[in-house]
Amino acid sequence: MTNSMNEVIKKIRRQFKDVFITEIDEREVKIDVPQENALGILSILKNEGFSHLSLLICVDWIENKEFELVYILFSWKDGGKIIVSTRIDRENPKFVTVKHMWPVARFYEREIHEFFGVEFEGNDDMKPLILELWDDIPPSRKDFDP
Amino acid sequence: MGEVKFFFGPNHPGMHGNFSVYLHVEGDTVVKARPIPGFLHRGFEKLMERRLWFQNMALIPRICVPEPDINEICYSMAIEKIAKVDVPERAQWIRMIVLEIARMANHFMSFPGIGGPLGLYTGPNWGVADRDRILDIFEALTGARIYHMYIIPGGVRKDMTPKIEDLIWKTLDYIESRLPDYENLIFKNRIVRTRLKGKIILTREQALEMGVTGVGLRATGVPYDIRKVDPYLFYGKVDFEVPTATEGDAFSRVYLKFLEIPQSIRIIRQALEKMPAGKVNVRISEGSALRYRVPKGYAYVHVESSRGEYGYFMVSDGEEKPYRVAVRGASYPQGLYGIEKYMPGTRIEDVPVWLATMDVCAPEIDR
Repeated sequence: MTNSMNEVIKKIRRQFKDVFITEIDEREVKIDVPQENALGILSILKNEGFSHLSLLICVDWIENKEFELVYILFSWKDGGKIIVSTRIDRENPKFVTVKHMWPVARFYEREIHEFFGVEFEGNDDMKPLILELWDDIPPSRKDFDP
Repeated sequence: MGEVKFFFGPNHPGMHGNFSVYLHVEGDTVVKARPIPGFLHRGFEKLMERRLWFQNMALIPRICVPEPDINEICYSMAIEKIAKVDVPERAQWIRMIVLEIARMANHFMSFPGIGGPLGLYTGPNWGVADRDRILDIFEALTGARIYHMYIIPGGVRKDMTPKIEDLIWKTLDYIESRLPDYENLIFKNRIVRTRLKGKIILTREQALEMGVTGVGLRATGVPYDIRKVDPYLFYGKVDFEVPTATEGDAFSRVYLKFLEIPQSIRIIRQALEKMPAGKVNVRISEGSALRYRVPKGYAYVHVESSRGEYGYFMVSDGEEKPYRVAVRGASYPQGLYGIEKYMPGTRIEDVPVWLATMDVCAPEIDR
């Protein structure tokens, strides 16, 4: 791990208990966090140099009845990538928005709402982005059969 | 004067690609703009989940139409990262050469292509003709001009023969000889300078807040290039510079693309000299390639494409098909958030120039 990644991960471990860290590469680390701590950890990472949000996506784990929300952060200072992942319930999927930290996340959340059905509290711009006149279940879920 | 609502749609000759924008206009100035993506939605992310790992190689170049090699390299590098595959050295050098040639081919469509919205039609005609010479290299190397399907997990499909290397050296000399003509035609033209200099300014704070990468960010003065900050392949072993500018206006964004072409030529020449002999691919599956399974894992891979940061996030659960693949198109921030926030204030005739200089590329937003 790079130096700045080491520093910020030590800081996170001091403050939060249930984080689970996997090292994928020398410049890429994955952090699994519980739902209630995700926003706090994202704020710490943004202030420590990981200020570029590359992507925000959702993965459908249909057998565990969970959605996994993944935030990919990148630091321009030393090229480190941190993948923050949290799990939410599949029957009633809700999470908070991050659009006050990264304004473009508004559109990423709008797309996840359209394709997976996740509600984001605080983001009321949930009109369909890519599909038109869609009347079936959200199409990127695993139980949708085209 | 009241407000008039226009639909600037995909059939309009001034539109950059298959995209559309709702414009609310008072007089000649735009007061509100809303992007409407979705005309090119083909459902790639769902399609990839229903095909085998090697069957996807034929599908993914079509995600980004102007520069398809970045899809192949990101997919292959993500599989190699999860499965911990060691790619032979010659294959990495050949991949670098292919990526830089693809970058030049895309730049030859975009910086002369600014002549389209401005009325200087000689520019795009020259640009497309010279790009054809570059596509001849791809035809000799891979068999296809646009969608190559050449970079595969484990290396590249076929070796580069000495005859192809000769063709590359000759084409590089030809392109280098054409660059002064382009500079005289486009960048010293009085009308182009009047329409682009000082217009459509994007400051450094705005670019970093939006998440803009690529030329839009380097025109504000910061030398952020993924090839230098987070090197992949062998970019750490070649000498090249990253051109930057400080004004942040439309002219500097277009001019930076023109300045990146000599740097690409420099990288390709060094790569051709440093390339060793050897194998060009390694077999990653024990039996048939169609039964190949990637072990469980997650990976995110990104490269510096000609428009910015382009990345693939891949999730594998050990089966014979990918579980989830997500694509990060380089023009998400500008195409979606940038149009709503920063297009109001421009005049109607500058809207196609806005879309062309900010690099809004419709296929990678819609997927």
